[in-house]
Amino acid sequence: MKFYGYPRPDGKVGARNHVVIMPTTGCVNAVCHHIEKLIRGTKALPHHQGCLHPPRDTEQVTRTLINLGKNPNVAGVLLVGLGCEMVVCEQVLEGVRESGKPVDLVVVHQIGGMLDTVNKGAKIAAEMVLEASAMRREETGLDKLCFGTKCGSSDTTSGLSSNLVVGELCRIMTENGGKFIQGEICDIMGGEYALKKLCPNEEHGERIVDFVRDLYLRGVAMGADVRGAQMTAGNVAGGLTTLVEKALGANAKGADVPIQSSVHYGEIPLGPGRHIMDIPGHGFENLVGLAAGGAILHIFTTGRGAPNGNPLLPTIKVCGNAKTNVTMREHIDVDVSSIIGETESVATAGQRLYKYAIDVANGKMTRAEILNFDGTMEILINGPVI
Amino acid sequence: MKVAKIIHDKDNVATALIDIAAGEQVKSRSKGNELIYTCNQDVPFGHKIAIVEIRSGEKIVKYGHPIGSAMQDIKAGDWVHVHNVRDDYKVLDKDGRPFPGQDS
Repeated sequence: MKFYGYPRPDGKVGARNHVVIMPTTGCVNAVCHHIEKLIRGTKALPHHQGCLHPPRDTEQVTRTLINLGKNPNVAGVLLVGLGCEMVVCEQVLEGVRESGKPVDLVVVHQIGGMLDTVNKGAKIAAEMVLEASAMRREETGLDKLCFGTKCGSSDTTSGLSSNLVVGELCRIMTENGGKFIQGEICDIMGGEYALKKLCPNEEHGERIVDFVRDLYLRGVAMGADVRGAQMTAGNVAGGLTTLVEKALGANAKGADVPIQSSVHYGEIPLGPGRHIMDIPGHGFENLVGLAAGGAILHIFTTGRGAPNGNPLLPTIKVCGNAKTNVTMREHIDVDVSSIIGETESVATAGQRLYKYAIDVANGKMTRAEILNFDGTMEILINGPVI
Repeated sequence: MKVAKIIHDKDNVATALIDIAAGEQVKSRSKGNELIYTCNQDVPFGHKIAIVEIRSGEKIVKYGHPIGSAMQDIKAGDWVHVHNVRDDYKVLDKDGRPFPGQDS
């Protein structure tokens, strides 16, 4: 199987062709919004980070911004800086430039105020859109296709149907040279030793266990037992007995595909196959981390109906709850309630989802895209906020 | 006949795909064969039923992995949930010892 995507100068291939207006600090989000409104074909990526971080967070935010700019769904990047933020905007510029894609920077303090910055930035963005609009999709192999997985607003059907179908998709994609990134360390908690067994490289397996330990200990430092917070009364009423059971149901999204590497938030994992990223379950930071990691599609399972997408990632909602597929129809892309009804096998539904995902990679819009339900951009920080 | 799903060949429990009442016959597919058994208690949709006898202390297996231990002998057809399963999971330090304070 092949797909049609936008070739990039660094050899990567995008499923979308966005010109993004990206602030290096949340202080200049308004500038980005103004440019987006003026110039058709641009997408502002407002977020709230970039300043008053401990050094580790500054590094993480910088890395994430650079790698978001490098995301293959991005055709060109206009960076907007304020000029006094901790994230060094020139460093982000140089980082994105490594991709060979058009990238430029406007800095409000240097230009002198928002209005002139909008004027200058809009002119640059207009040229980028002109160039991007002339790009054409080309046929390419699945070795260029990287996607993220996540579940949200889950219910009893998730671990019984949609997650199993996504696991089948992951198996098919990776057998054909594809790549996927799984995060949600909170959901891995309880299943970390099962995942460790899937790591040929012991160092990476141990690091997954470390991600869980780190989450647990950060919870303890805040006076919370994350294990208890993960296992809700609703989970027990729905039939989940233990945290391990819940984790295995969430991890079923990756089936038993071997894990090639584990990476920190916003890093780009190398090579095909399955990769684990240290990302929280919270959707906004989660999808941004996956996008920074190089995902060009996102596969999102839901039971009750999570509507959010992401500005950069076409997000395919997969739902196994027959009722939700009716009540939340406008938000669900692929209905797999057939698994609960036992009218379709997981293998057949996996093939169906696979074909759907390729269609979306080729340009078919997701329901979140059609509804402009982009979701909020947020970059993970560990704090404290200073 | 009501249906319960066995997710992995190694599993010793099935998950109800519909509400099942005590005394009802249940059908599950296991390794290509049909398994038919009687449900001993009411088991709501999404809850688990033992497909074989599980002795006290033995592991409950779902998704092909142990998810907890039986706190009492469980008969085939029994409802399997928090009343008869202990959660064994603890977060371990690098030496494999549980971090303190995880008894609850």
